[in-house]
Amino acid sequence: MTETTHSADTEGAIEAEGIHKTFGVQAALRGISFSLRKGEFLTIFGPNGAGKTTLLKILAGLAKPTRGTARVAGFDVLEGDPGMKRQIGVIAHASCLYSDLSAVENLIFYAKMYGLGRPEERAVRAIENVGLKARMHDRVRTYSRGMQQRVSIARAVLHDPPILFLDEPFTGLDPQGSNNLKETLRALHTDKRTVLMTTHDIACGLELSDKVAVQSKGRFVLYEDACNLEKHRFEDLYFEILADRLPAEKTAPGGPGR
Amino acid sequence: MRQYFSQVAAIVWKDLVTELKTRELFSTMFVFSVLVILIFIFSINLSIVKATEVGPGVLWVAFLFAGTLGLNRSFMLEKENGCLQGLILTPADRTTIYFGKFISNLVFLLLMEAFILPLFMVFFNVDLLAHLGSLLVVILLGTFGFCALGTLLSSLSSNLKTREVMLPILLYPLMVPVVIGSVRMTGQVLEGVPLSTMMNWVGLTLCFDVIFIGVSIMTIDHILEE
Repeated sequence: MTETTHSADTEGAIEAEGIHKTFGVQAALRGISFSLRKGEFLTIFGPNGAGKTTLLKILAGLAKPTRGTARVAGFDVLEGDPGMKRQIGVIAHASCLYSDLSAVENLIFYAKMYGLGRPEERAVRAIENVGLKARMHDRVRTYSRGMQQRVSIARAVLHDPPILFLDEPFTGLDPQGSNNLKETLRALHTDKRTVLMTTHDIACGLELSDKVAVQSKGRFVLYEDACNLEKHRFEDLYFEILADRLPAEKTAPGGPGR
Repeated sequence: MRQYFSQVAAIVWKDLVTELKTRELFSTMFVFSVLVILIFIFSINLSIVKATEVGPGVLWVAFLFAGTLGLNRSFMLEKENGCLQGLILTPADRTTIYFGKFISNLVFLLLMEAFILPLFMVFFNVDLLAHLGSLLVVILLGTFGFCALGTLLSSLSSNLKTREVMLPILLYPLMVPVVIGSVRMTGQVLEGVPLSTMMNWVGLTLCFDVIFIGVSIMTIDHILEE
């Protein structure tokens, strides 16, 4: 299997080299390599089962690759250094929030776990930033999906991490919620954060990103600057990938044809 | 080190606040253990059998079965909404998660036992107050070991579909030395035997408590790994 390789020039915030991951005989990742500079926003598209979440889990230190290496904020992900965890914020499929605690109680708890000073103040400020001050004392289980997602973002950026991993953050949101989230992500990116996001939402992904990748069957089959891609052309390409009939000449540099 | 303890305290605080709001765990454990004691009371003729002979076994069956319900619930709380993943993503050492959950479980179980003891005293007509100090030491030793091993195994079984079944299957055989020690010591304490004359049982139970904690510290990192 040919490995996909995408190099960047300087200051790698995220560097992955030949990452393989297998579950039993099933290969989830087949040699993914890329690097992302500080402040860049990469969106990874791909069908369900392409290995996007597995890649994010490996980069966040939640899973170990079968083969290959990755460095995040200069830390080797295999070492599980607590220093790396202070540098990253993760918004996963699940909210990671305790349903019977209020939003503010959840954030106070996480602030204490991150060892942050003045956890109460931080928690309240984080909730204000996502516009939920009025309901911060309500139990999280009474929140809508969109509200939970906002608290989840507040949790992920509570310790002000320079790198964010977002796993399908638009899933389950209505158009209003989706727009709010888009604005929040734009603001987070403007703060010079490096963002790696997976999503199925092509419009949002292309709009927010500096770089775009398409992952299929555990490999990057496309890796381009977002500014080089027109939405329609990308959509056509993406649907061909989804339909598993991607012509060899349409694969990006570093793709399987390389 | 200070941060380590504050992270453990944060987990305990979170569990206590959750329990204060829901009252799920305590009420389930308390009702279950009262039912166990009532069933035994109606099935044992205390005019034939001495209460100090059967009482300790009944008491510990109630504690352990009710405690198992609590342990099953304990890590389930962390699995809901991927909270365990959220915890693992923090820079906290994974043993803080273990110790936080262990202390929460210990507090809940000791609290439940504090409510059960007066009922036991009334139903079995046993004077616990005369030997309260020794009895509390014995209960603390047994409950400590149960929670130490139970917390570890509940973290292990929480990933399984058959967790409700697997936890007791894994836990009870390994708990045998501590249970035997605790039941024997409780029986002797109720008979008025001073604790100082049963140091071999105290030593055995204490030894297993330490072993359970040691094994937990060594393995929790791997158990919590995906």
